[in-house]
Amino acid sequence: MRIGIAGAGLVGRLLAWRLARAGHSVSLFDADSKTGEQAAGTTAAAMISPFAELAVSEPEVFRLGMISLATYPQWMAELEHDSGCSVMYRHNGSLAVAHAPDVSSLRHFQDLLLHRLPAEHAQAVQVLSGADIDAYEPALAGRFRQGVLLAEEAQVDNAELFMALQAALTRLGVVWHEQTPVFSLQEQRLQTAAGWLHFDLVVDARGVGAKQHLQVRGVRGEVLTVDAPEVTLQRPVRLMHPRYMLYVVPRANHRFIIGATELESEDKSSVTVRSALELLSALYSLHSGFAEANIVKWSVNLRPALPDNLPFVGWKEGVLTINGLYRHGYLLAPACVLRALNLWENPS
Amino acid sequence: MSYVLDGKTFNSRFFIGSSLYPSPQHLQDSVKASGAQVITVGLRRLNPQAGGGNAYWSMIQDTGCQLLPNTAGCYTAQEAIATAQMAREIFGTDWIKLETLGDDYNLQPNPFELLKAAEVLVKEGFKVFAYTTDDLVLALKLYDLGVTAIMPWAAPIGTALGPINLYALEAIRVRLPDAFLVVDAGLGVPSHAAKVMELGYDACLLNSAVAQAADPVKMAKAFASAIEAGRWCYEAGPIPSRPTAQASTPTLGTPFWHQA
Repeated sequence: MRIGIAGAGLVGRLLAWRLARAGHSVSLFDADSKTGEQAAGTTAAAMISPFAELAVSEPEVFRLGMISLATYPQWMAELEHDSGCSVMYRHNGSLAVAHAPDVSSLRHFQDLLLHRLPAEHAQAVQVLSGADIDAYEPALAGRFRQGVLLAEEAQVDNAELFMALQAALTRLGVVWHEQTPVFSLQEQRLQTAAGWLHFDLVVDARGVGAKQHLQVRGVRGEVLTVDAPEVTLQRPVRLMHPRYMLYVVPRANHRFIIGATELESEDKSSVTVRSALELLSALYSLHSGFAEANIVKWSVNLRPALPDNLPFVGWKEGVLTINGLYRHGYLLAPACVLRALNLWENPS
Repeated sequence: MSYVLDGKTFNSRFFIGSSLYPSPQHLQDSVKASGAQVITVGLRRLNPQAGGGNAYWSMIQDTGCQLLPNTAGCYTAQEAIATAQMAREIFGTDWIKLETLGDDYNLQPNPFELLKAAEVLVKEGFKVFAYTTDDLVLALKLYDLGVTAIMPWAAPIGTALGPINLYALEAIRVRLPDAFLVVDAGLGVPSHAAKVMELGYDACLLNSAVAQAADPVKMAKAFASAIEAGRWCYEAGPIPSRPTAQASTPTLGTPFWHQA
């Protein structure tokens, strides 16, 4: 089958890859270049955290997230095979902590999580004492008296994943039209500056770019990347606070991703001083060794969100549409791609 | 229950905040469940000059409520005035919830900047809803400046402690019988709202207690009932409490010196 996909962000790439490796002839279109810097997925910590997200979202996000969590290991192995690139995927949980004045925020997080969590998963939420935290994260020894370990959570290196998908798509012969925005999509055709192009199936995975087709809005997020040779963390750490929920995610070679602000704004201008102060203060309060870290990058992007902040996967006027992955891109993408493939393969 | 504010008639005494909901859909459903007719909306940090918040604001406008833009995130009178002017331009309303932060951690208002900003904004024709502490003298001064509403906190914002100084809240009500008084900030559960409404407060403004509840829609309903109950109580005129029990019918056969 000939398939045209509009949008080469995380969802577009993943879908193109699954279809191409199944033997379909895939064309991928995006206004951006292949590196995908405009894609929300490149400005992310890429935690696969169905439990922590349940405290701030619907059970549906948890359900889809658990499907993704079960899908990642096999997909990462297949992607390594198809691309020849390795992608860091780590499945050793995440930790939520709060400084002494903010322990009520940690308790609220725990209450909301347990209120919404299906009973059979309750054992995946472990309440930790200060000594437990010291054992799990020696770098944080003596800093926190209470914490919550979400043992089943994982993370993927999104920069490596984007590059591996790019390599796999090239090897699998996907025709990639970079810097080619798609203006409109209809059943079996899509419109670029060159005119209407025809396919057996067209897919809209443009995120915020799909505004004229969906009630999608952008939610601004600001993310910091640092290199901190003095600090070693084993797993993502979330710092609970009455007004922000910031996280510090360790990558290879003492690199850390710190995020993310969440502002109901479609402004994409550079990081504000206030946001920078928030992120840096959170980082420094976690470990004083971050004072000597080098700032690698500040990034800003827009998360595509629908009014209910839930993902949409379905048909819109004959166009297979995936959007609204919001702040859960890496958590939801595999499950949404599987659902889209299933909708297409089993029309009934 | 109904009242007139700035020439408009309102039936609900529930003012609702628009931040911290799990989604815009939750916000819309909660507003509906609350019956609120006044909703606050922020602009700081959204880069309003560039239309940064347009998509979000249009969803808030869809609730059909009277918008009450706020100056949340402003520290000085100058910042608050500039934000108020921008809000008037963007939302086409003179209403402004005036907030001037004094302390970054508990978001306690700065009374000195508040008075400065209120004076300027009232002169510029704004309908000022002043977010303040429970300080009586400050409330009296705000009243003298001609603000539309005085909004003392029950407790620091987001603490959910409920009214920590009922004496102070009551003093403001007693001393300013004609002022429009709204309890803003610090309420956690519906009984807190009922309590301050029983004192004769004209309305309650709620945000975190609803938006961050495990079920915001249900919590909006719970607060709506409590606010209504407290108001009915105030209008009905409660009986005074007494140190000892007094039967409603005389207890025959008890010597009068045994009757309390």
